[in-house]
This record gives sequence, C-alpha cells and structure tokens, in this order.
Amino acid sequence: MSGLSRAWAVCAKDATQELRRKVAMVAVFFFAATALTLVSFAIGPFGLPAADRPALEAALLWIILFFAAATGLPRAFVAEEEAGTGLALRKTVPAAVVLAGKTLFNFVLFLAMAAVTIPGFLILLDWKVGSPLAVAATMVAGGYGLAVVSTFLSALVARAGQRNVLFVLIAFPLILPLLLTAISATIEATAGGFPLTALRVLVAYDGAATCGAYMLASVAWED
Amino acid sequence: MPTTTIAAENLEKSFSGTRLFSGLSFSVSRGLLAVAGRNGSGKTTLLKILAGLARPSSGRVRVETEGAPALSASERRLAVGWAGPDLELYGELSALENLRFFRTAAGRGAAEDDLERRLAAVGLAREAMGRQVAEYSTGMRQRLRIAFATLFDPPVLVLDEPMVGLDVEGRDTVFRAIAAARERGAVVLASNDERDFVEPEQRIELEGAGRRA
Repeated sequence: MSGLSRAWAVCAKDATQELRRKVAMVAVFFFAATALTLVSFAIGPFGLPAADRPALEAALLWIILFFAAATGLPRAFVAEEEAGTGLALRKTVPAAVVLAGKTLFNFVLFLAMAAVTIPGFLILLDWKVGSPLAVAATMVAGGYGLAVVSTFLSALVARAGQRNVLFVLIAFPLILPLLLTAISATIEATAGGFPLTALRVLVAYDGAATCGAYMLASVAWED
Repeated sequence: MPTTTIAAENLEKSFSGTRLFSGLSFSVSRGLLAVAGRNGSGKTTLLKILAGLARPSSGRVRVETEGAPALSASERRLAVGWAGPDLELYGELSALENLRFFRTAAGRGAAEDDLERRLAAVGLAREAMGRQVAEYSTGMRQRLRIAFATLFDPPVLVLDEPMVGLDVEGRDTVFRAIAAARERGAVVLASNDERDFVEPEQRIELEGAGRRA
C-alpha cells in the first residue's frame, strides 16, 4: 500500500471525525464570518479611495484567512493528544504518513474556508478582481504553505505545556514571509496582473516547508 | 514460525532526577513475563519503553526475529502490540472504523470479515461494532484495546493492566487472548493483581527506586 493511500486514510479519518463533531470547522467558519462582517462594516464597499483599495483589501483578506485558519489548523495533532489517541497513532503509523494526511486535511479545510470567505469578500467589500485565476493560484499556493507549516508546528507543540502560546511564538516568524508574499501576489492579481515572481516564491516556500516538515516529522511527533 | 525476541539491555529511567529503575535487563521470546510492583513503581513506563512509546534514560530495547534481517522502524512498530490504561481510540468512529483505519494507515489490508472476527474474538457484539466508541462502557473500551493490541498479530504482546474494568466474561476473553499470544510468541504483562499472572515463565518486580528480579 503506497504512502499516499496511507496518508489519505489519515486525512479521511480526520474528515470523518470533523464531520461528526464539527469543532475545527465551526471555529474556522465562524471566525471567518465574524471577521468578514466586522471588516465590511468598518470599511464597506465605499469607505476607501479606489487607489488604496487593492493593497488594503489583499491584506485584510489574508488577515481574515490567516486568523481563521489559526483557530482550526493547529488542532491537527493537538486534538490527538487531548483525546489521548496520539499513543495509538504513534504505535501504528509512521510520523511522516500522519503529517502528510493531516496536512492534506488542513489544506482541504483551508480551501473550503477560502471558498466561503472569498465570495463574501467580493459581495460585502465590492472587491474587484482583475485576474481571478491568479487569485486562485495564490490561494492554492499560500493555503498549502499555511497548511503544511501549521500542521508541522502542531506536531511540534502537541505535547508541550502552554501549546497555544508556543504555537503562535514559533509560527509568527515562519509564516510571516508566506503571508507577505501572498498579500503581494493578491495585490498584483487584484490589479489584473499575473504575479509570477511572487507565486514562484510561494511554490519555493511550499517545497522547502514540505521537505523540512517531512525530514523532521519523526522528531516533532515521536520524540 | 521464526521466533521474535524482545530484549531489554541495562534499562534505566529517571524523571526529574528521581531514578524509577536502573540496570534492568531481560529477554523473552516465548511465554509470559510478569511485571509486578506497587503503584508508581514504573510498570507503565517500562511497558511503554518496550512498546517504543517512550525512551529510556539509558540502555536499549532490541526486537529481533530469528534468521531475519533487522526490523525496520515500521516493522518494529507493528511487531510489538501494546495496550494500556491510557490508550484511547477514536470516540467519533465505530470499533470497526477504528480498526479499519489503523490497518489501512499502517499499510496493511483491512478485510471487513477479518476485522469483525477480531472484534467478536474480544467479545464485542455485532451490534456494538458499528456504534461510536464514545458510547462504549469501560469494559467495552477495554475489549477494544485488546483488539487493537492484537490487530497486527504481533509476535510480542505488551499489556498493561489488561483486566481493568472487565467483567468475568471479559477477563476470560483476555486470558484466552494472552494464552493464544503465549503460544505464538512473547507476552509482557503488568498488573497490580497477582491473579492476572497465570504461571509466568519469568517475573520482574519493580520497586520504584530500584529493581528486584
């Protein structure tokens, strides 16, 4: 049985659990909805000069996505430890397989959240997107990076005390370059361009994060 | 059938400067190794070290199969079955879904009739197999833990207080599982109840700050 099908089993297990208890899903979607509503009331479709809109809208969109994701994505491994199921998982499944499966689940969760948030953003803030394809590519590349880093850090802090504080402290310097690049790509895409350089940086970040997480999975989760 | 041996070599475990046990060495290939000792003497820690779920402060655990190359990390992980009081399975999944998930994620096949047979062997009724584990009683959870420990037919079975929460029928079921495991390999069993040790081939008694074998 291939590593991919085993990782898929982990992802499917997480999805089944989530659909039955709806902890991460509810937290993520409610945070996104609340933040989106607040932003739309504060700024609204007419609250800003047209020239200032692309940069601010791109930043706000990623802030909403990031903080909404931060309420659910770090639970990947933390939930296993809190439920006491981490021992069974460590006993039977290699760390790299668990990490891959949980990253996949977090990535799907992020895309689902983006698929709900972005239409809301388009409507409530009257967001004008010049290049929808480039925005979609930015969401995929940025979302994957966010998923892999959050999942890995979740494994790292899962058995630590004060894990929430620890997660934020470690995540900040690791995720900041990703967010800045994603915002820059979204600004360019909003203006109608195709942010090739920024997307290349995001893909390189995703590749480096995946390799690093894969190599350190065992240390983070098993030791 | 090739014999698999689990051997502890000079194991030591300390927590915050307090030595739980030290100089612990033994080897078991077939039959029952009883691990006794009062509460806090380190039985659970020792069994977790044997199962690969905790690291000793010094010393090592070897798991070797006669006439076979060294076991990979994945093979070793599955060669030692483990169940203990702090083993929890997924409450949102049914017993069948739990076993199916662990078999699949470990890269082994998960035939439905085989999984049902395993659950029936630990005394879970057919109706209970499809129910979410969160709804299980303490005894049913314990039976499921035993099914998990034997899920990969491991040549070495490590059981920590396997009779806790079980009724008479449940205890008989676990005794049968232990007897079958003793036939095909080694069983390491820790308990506070002497009645759980049926004619052990070896015995270790832990005292917390040292060891008496």
